[in-house]
Amino acid sequence: MKKQLLIIPSILFVLILSTFFYLLIIERNPSELPSNLLNKNVPNFKAESLLKNENFVSSKEFGNEIILVNFFATWCSPCRDEHVYIKRFANEKGIRVIGINYKDNSNNAIEWLKNLGNPYSDVPIDKDGRIAIDWGVYGIPETFIVKSKGIIKYRHVGPITKKIYKKINLLIREIEQ
Amino acid sequence: MAPTLGNFALWLSLFFAIFQFFTSRKNNKLKFITVSVNGLLISSLISFFLLMYVHIVSDFSVLNVFQNSHTTKPLLYKISGVWGNHEGSMLLWILVLTIFNYFIFKLYNKKNSAFISKTLETQAFITTGFILFTILTSNPFERMIPAQENGLGFNPILQDPALAIHPPLLYIGYVGFSAAFSISIATLSVEDGEKIPWHIYMKPFVLAAWTFLSIGIALGALWAYYELGWGGWWFWDPVENASFMPWLLGTALLHSLIIVEKRKSLRAWVLLLSILAFLLSVIGTFLVRSGILTSVHTFALDPSRGIYILIFAALLGGYSLILFGVKSKRYFDNNYFTFFSKEGSILINNILMVVICSTVFLGTIYPLLIEALTNNKISVGEPYYNSTVIPIMIPAILVMGIGPILGWGKEDKSKTLKKIFPTILLTTIMTIFIFLIYQSYSVIGIAGIILAFWIISNNLLILIKKDKNCSMGMIIAHLGIGLVILGITSSSVWQEEKITKMKIDSETKIKKYNIVFEKINEIKESNYVALRGDFLVYDDKKNIITILKPENRFYLIKNNFTTEASIHTNLFRDLYIVLGEGNLNDGWIVRIYYNPLVIWIWIGSLIIFIGGIVSMNINLRKLKILY
Repeated sequence: MKKQLLIIPSILFVLILSTFFYLLIIERNPSELPSNLLNKNVPNFKAESLLKNENFVSSKEFGNEIILVNFFATWCSPCRDEHVYIKRFANEKGIRVIGINYKDNSNNAIEWLKNLGNPYSDVPIDKDGRIAIDWGVYGIPETFIVKSKGIIKYRHVGPITKKIYKKINLLIREIEQ
Repeated sequence: MAPTLGNFALWLSLFFAIFQFFTSRKNNKLKFITVSVNGLLISSLISFFLLMYVHIVSDFSVLNVFQNSHTTKPLLYKISGVWGNHEGSMLLWILVLTIFNYFIFKLYNKKNSAFISKTLETQAFITTGFILFTILTSNPFERMIPAQENGLGFNPILQDPALAIHPPLLYIGYVGFSAAFSISIATLSVEDGEKIPWHIYMKPFVLAAWTFLSIGIALGALWAYYELGWGGWWFWDPVENASFMPWLLGTALLHSLIIVEKRKSLRAWVLLLSILAFLLSVIGTFLVRSGILTSVHTFALDPSRGIYILIFAALLGGYSLILFGVKSKRYFDNNYFTFFSKEGSILINNILMVVICSTVFLGTIYPLLIEALTNNKISVGEPYYNSTVIPIMIPAILVMGIGPILGWGKEDKSKTLKKIFPTILLTTIMTIFIFLIYQSYSVIGIAGIILAFWIISNNLLILIKKDKNCSMGMIIAHLGIGLVILGITSSSVWQEEKITKMKIDSETKIKKYNIVFEKINEIKESNYVALRGDFLVYDDKKNIITILKPENRFYLIKNNFTTEASIHTNLFRDLYIVLGEGNLNDGWIVRIYYNPLVIWIWIGSLIIFIGGIVSMNINLRKLKILY
């Protein structure tokens, strides 16, 4: 065997490690999944509202401004973790947030919002997970940025952390311009 | 007090590890090496058991306990909670490292002092790396002030007996390869490496690693089978792959060592394999704990950890692979093998194992490569692995059946044919018999079943004939593999799945079984509440067979749901029921699986484990002769 061939394992090893290294240092989130709905219109749906007596009709709600759509449930503990950031979007940044209450007990949900504060302008109820299927939700919490004319611009899977909070703010500013 | 002492013991073990590195490097004073090896073992034992102690007494001034425990948790899970999280599991990892370190030290004598010292030096480097990693990025003794009243609880799906012992077994596997790695480095480094019986030193470690890795993987699969409620046991998740890849290389390594022993060949190859097996274990750890890819095993993620492990892997891999490139020349052997011989068959299997390992590795990192190069996200799933791994497995299994009956060197073909004739006969009978029972045919199914019986009947016949050429451990382990293949094939080919909505008193049919949804109960336990369905199972003669009771649990402290599948097992099939969502008015979604012969996967794995232990015993005896 040629001696030079013996160096092949080390070269392969270096290549693989550099890939890992590159992926570690760049800004990326492994749980971020591209959505088929990106740059498309929001799926139409109609649902009971947790907060109001009238039904939530999506075609009436989306269109004029940037809206965040957040899928949540009281049984999901990461949803509790991200709730502070959802509140900051609503209270500090003045962004409208629609919270879709996913496969949940409505009484628990009302109680939850009472205790933790309600950042949502409206809360459509998705009892059987039908709306989540239309939106291609992978697992809650998930958050979508919907820009004017009801077009989905961004999707985040998983709880919103400080880093993601900043990122979404940046994206919203970009979309606004 | 205990956490402070534990932390102190951890630092002490760092000191002893560094001390061992320098004393064994110089290799002059046995006294110093003795002190450092024993000191390292004792201090890591102390820190590990102190962490266990703070978990048992629920000392919530320790962040790790607060995050992963709760006073209502049963004692068993308070103990297993020690390694059920990233920080604690690192402590277990270190403990296993130091135990293996101690066994390497036991090999020390006057003749091999330079060699064992070099091995201990490498082992000390690895241990130092892991202790530093733990102290710098994931110290389990980190305090929180003020102490909390109670903890956040432990992930309920991990509260399970199989999963309580799964990590320790797996770590013995991963870390066992560190010993083979160190021995390999020493063999390449010392001047008179050829004169040292390094392969006899290496084999018990590789056997231990392989045996425990096998049973560890099987337990993980068993847990996934009954706990996740997806009806399957293997999902090609990156974490599963991370354990499967070292297992494949370990299998190749184990068999190559036989050739080194009997034919003095393949030495350089063995040295490379033992380096790669451990590197893959470290890279597996990196993949799982850096958060670079998503997986069902979510360890707490922290990029700084990823960077650290990566740098450590680069040091280990860079050094060992370059050393191999420069120094392995003298271990090259120019022996050529006949294709039709024992060593020929082992060589073929070696190649196939490495190819499978590369295939799995490619599948695991392919999404990462694509993302780094093109910024697109793709995912590689079951179809890829099924269509690549299975076709390579089939010839490997075929060879595995013939290999043991072939002799070393040249073999007479007609004689061999005579030898394997009873096996062919027995295989045919068993295959026909089983197809008469299940009456469903597919190419893969037929191939898998024939191969399984091929291995089983072969090893049974060797066992009956008491062939002196074959080691007992090998026959037992191979028999186990045959049974595992039987279980895997039949349960994947003949599985039936039924998803249906059932109201109380309604019934449904799967295969010859009638299943009646009798009632639903509410259950309250100390740490969860649950809905439990009672399903009566009748066979075709209307005899009641069992009552299956799947549950939907809600864990109060962690605020999450789990589904508990209910399974009725016998030697021929599993009936597997999962209770989905629903309510009294609309009924519940119920998933029912009919899984043929699954139990043979677990029985087979246990037999593999026994085979490994028997073989370990034989090889330790060989080792003792040297002393």
